[in-house]
Amino acid sequence: MKKAISANIAGTLFQIDEDAYIKLEQYFHRIEAGYNYSAEGKEIIADLEIRITELLIGRIKDRSSIITIEDVNWAIGVLGKPEDLGASQGNQSSGRDNPYYRVVRRLYRDPDNKVLGGVCSGLGAYFEIDPVLIRVIFVLLLFVGFGPLAYIILWIVIPKAYTVTQKLEMHGEAPTPENIRKYS
Amino acid sequence: MNSDNAKAQMRKGVLEYCILLILSRNDVYATDIINILKESEMIVVEGTLYPLLTRQKNAGLLSYRWEESTQGPPRKYYTITETGRQFLKELDLSWEQLIQAVQSIREKHNK
Repeated sequence: MKKAISANIAGTLFQIDEDAYIKLEQYFHRIEAGYNYSAEGKEIIADLEIRITELLIGRIKDRSSIITIEDVNWAIGVLGKPEDLGASQGNQSSGRDNPYYRVVRRLYRDPDNKVLGGVCSGLGAYFEIDPVLIRVIFVLLLFVGFGPLAYIILWIVIPKAYTVTQKLEMHGEAPTPENIRKYS
Repeated sequence: MNSDNAKAQMRKGVLEYCILLILSRNDVYATDIINILKESEMIVVEGTLYPLLTRQKNAGLLSYRWEESTQGPPRKYYTITETGRQFLKELDLSWEQLIQAVQSIREKHNK
């Protein structure tokens, strides 16, 4: 199961898979970074957004179809890689230097590794410690009295990581294509 | 160094000239320029065109206007300016010279 979102590209509304959306967003960000976020770069991106809209409209059979990662990969293949677009080479570092790959870490409940509500696995991902350790602490807290209450409060207060973006934030990982694939 | 790269570099140099040539007859919308250049195998990926158009527009060689489209997003129609026409004349001349120069080198040194 994938989460699809609505995206407005050059004034046209698309239903697009989340991984496809992230891929497209990264593509434009890399071009923009290659042009040092200049007015020229913004103008080129506006042109490219229009072209990608034309390409996607031509490719999907009807407007209600969902744009998949294959559609986006195809369109990027037609337009060319950011390096082909005349963006200056030196500025396109992928990885942590790129402002787009800036890593955000947030506390979420982890639905993929949960035992009860995913509170302990979420805390484990946040502090980068084994969730089993946290579970042991919570079990010990059972005997203190406020343990179960603390767990329930955390269950209510901490949001669950539903989307790929949230899962990346939960693990504090950069939205690189490999990481996105891992959680989608 | 492979031959594909050399070919790509060669094409890149004359691409600006080709854009002005295409626009010299009438106003054309960006996607049509792409199609013409793709047909004649001047570009491989479409994206190479947009930075060139933007640069030529910023240099005052081109101007553009928006036109609505029933099929999709609005279309950017490019027009060659008077400066652009002057520039094209110069390029016409240097193209002729370049061909002659290369031709004479080929004749003299290519067995």
